[in-house]
Amino acid sequence: MRFYILRALVLKELHRHAANRGGIALGLLLIAAAVMLSVFNPAGFGGGGSSATEAASTSVVGGVQHCFVCYTRENSDVIPPLVAHLEKTVPPELRQRVRLREMNADRIKEGVYYQPGVASIRLNAYTAGGQPHLRIDVFHPPGDAAAMAPFENWLWREMRVGLQEIAEQKLKALKVTNANLPPIVAENDDLWAVRESFAALRRDADEWHAGIVPEVQITREGLGGQTLELRSAIATALVVFALYFACVYLLPTLNCEERERGVLLAQALSPASPAEILMAKFLFYPVLGGALAAVIAGIYKPAVLSTLFFWSGLFTVAAGFLGIGMTIATLAKTQRAAFMGAMCYLLSVSLVLVICSTNGIPFVSNLALEYHVPRVLHASLSGSVHSVHWLHLLAAMALAAFWLVTAGWLFKRRGWQ
Amino acid sequence: MSDAAIHIKSLRVQYGRFTAVDNLDLEIRKGELFGLLGPNGAGKSTTIRVLIGQRRPTGGSVSVLGHDVVREWARIKPLFGYVPDRENHFEEFTGNRNLEFFAELYGVPRLRVRECLEMVELEEAGNTLVRGYSLGMRRKLLLARALLHNPRVLYLDEPTANLDVHSAEVVHRILRERVSQGATVVLTTHDMDEVEKICDRVGIVCKGKLVALDSPLALKQRHTERQTDVILATGERRTFDMDRDADRQALADLVRAGATASLQTREFDFHATFLKLTGQAFE
Ligand SMILES: Nc1ncnc2c1ncn2[C@@H]1O[C@H](COP(=O)(O)OP(=O)(O)OP(=O)(O)O)[C@@H](O)[C@H]1O
Ligand SMILES: [Mg+2]
Repeated sequence: MRFYILRALVLKELHRHAANRGGIALGLLLIAAAVMLSVFNPAGFGGGGSSATEAASTSVVGGVQHCFVCYTRENSDVIPPLVAHLEKTVPPELRQRVRLREMNADRIKEGVYYQPGVASIRLNAYTAGGQPHLRIDVFHPPGDAAAMAPFENWLWREMRVGLQEIAEQKLKALKVTNANLPPIVAENDDLWAVRESFAALRRDADEWHAGIVPEVQITREGLGGQTLELRSAIATALVVFALYFACVYLLPTLNCEERERGVLLAQALSPASPAEILMAKFLFYPVLGGALAAVIAGIYKPAVLSTLFFWSGLFTVAAGFLGIGMTIATLAKTQRAAFMGAMCYLLSVSLVLVICSTNGIPFVSNLALEYHVPRVLHASLSGSVHSVHWLHLLAAMALAAFWLVTAGWLFKRRGWQ
Repeated sequence: MSDAAIHIKSLRVQYGRFTAVDNLDLEIRKGELFGLLGPNGAGKSTTIRVLIGQRRPTGGSVSVLGHDVVREWARIKPLFGYVPDRENHFEEFTGNRNLEFFAELYGVPRLRVRECLEMVELEEAGNTLVRGYSLGMRRKLLLARALLHNPRVLYLDEPTANLDVHSAEVVHRILRERVSQGATVVLTTHDMDEVEKICDRVGIVCKGKLVALDSPLALKQRHTERQTDVILATGERRTFDMDRDADRQALADLVRAGATASLQTREFDFHATFLKLTGQAFE
């Protein structure tokens, strides 16, 4: 390895990219995306919460973006105070997405067509057989009842609380002072209705014989904040894409372009040895991709730049993608073939990962660098690195080494032509 | 033995089943300007590709300046310059930048870039992107690149294709100059005049085989068609072969009888010789 030759080769790559505006534009676009991601931080996104609401709000496709709660004041002395109670208790993360809307009694009975991502809940009171009734209709997106979960969690609890308050006030007005209405089991608990149902069963059975139904205890906890957080997921995608772009796309296509045009031959005939030509590319592309990735990560979250985990992850990914890129570059003869190779690789890996995850096929995904890489980078970007992520990092390192060895072996067999 | 720069011994090159070079034996002397001639697809470029080490021979051996091309490739690389048949520049760089890059690889001072550009009369186009070069300019830039490190051996695959008369002259002058300084030059061409004018020796190849090897002058002496074209007083045209007794006699009789209006001996025609040698001569 002679320094002056390496320097000339690396500078040549740099000048070629400087003369290629498309590549620069794409790099700037990636950086701009990172800037936008860190500047615009809408309410309800991000933060450290892991509630069901947030999980629902991060589902980009499907789900419910807005929920109308429609009601009519006619024929009812319950609905106005109930709506007032609901209005007061909309949780902050749903505030942008819940609209309470008054309607007249005729409209509320009509079927209404809603846009995708919009759901509605209708409250309607009427009297039948001399008794007051309250009818609640939930209209959810077709086939996706679960998307209503965050809204229903709020609605059922607060309706229960609200109806109890209204009942207590009415009883007070009737001078009933000793009515001891049972409060719901735990107010901040999504499972209050379930608990109450078990408790009611036990209560009723106990009236006949004590101890027939056991006391049911349920706990439900998040798994250490492992929900996918959208913003850091996007940041991870940008970082991975920057590296993929430099090492798996740019490197093979530019290399094959040089080969196709004969300039690679011209360089090979100069005193530069094949090893030096290869080394210059090894130096240039991962550094280019790594620098771009580090800038993006740094814009999103400057603190990651001081963590060992991030840099070892970045280094591993760069090395792995470099191996994949060099493999494609040695196998492809023309620029077009290299481009197709990069695309086919991306598609087939994504396909394998999707098939494995949807069909629950074990182990196979572990063989893909792309399975471990996003987990490693996402963990460091969202600041939640656990021991499992170190395992992912180790696996990624092994796969990166495999790809580098493969690329080196192929290069040796097929040569620089 | 020691005055041979290039030894080609029983060289065979095959592309799959197709034999492009078939048992070629050739020695090219030091300080010689050697021309390789042959019809399209004869195997000229293939032979040069073997000489520069781009293509491995299927059989036989090739050595340049005493080094085996395959085994000691790295050692002979800096000794030769190569002008390929297909131009290969960085289109997005200027002519200057293209040469500077290679000058850096060869460890040659920047000054030499200017010199080489001037040599091929491209100094004014030096700061233009190669993308904007004409075909002839691209060819000349290839030559400038091959000259950067003052190589002892120069391989040129059709160096004057697409060049105007003046530029071709410039290239010829440069090549003769290199040869006079002791360099060995091997070029391929389809231009017969060029061969006659500048080559010390020519090899004619056809279908991968060497069919003639000599100096242009010797080829001329051997292959000049000794024929005389005559227009008779009656207006009839006839051709007499000077190697045949009967023809000579007949011509002498006509001249003596004063029956000839004009009489012309044939010039040496390299083109006809070439066609004859490559087995494609017309009757
Ligand atoms: N890469 C290749 N693969 C297969 N066949 C090839 C290849 N390169 C050359 N050939 C064949 O080898 C033969 C010799 O080709 P070559 O390029 O040496 O001819 P040439 O003498 O330089 O012709 P021209 O005067 O047209 O340049 C041709 O018949 C050609 O078809
Ligand atoms: Mg040729």
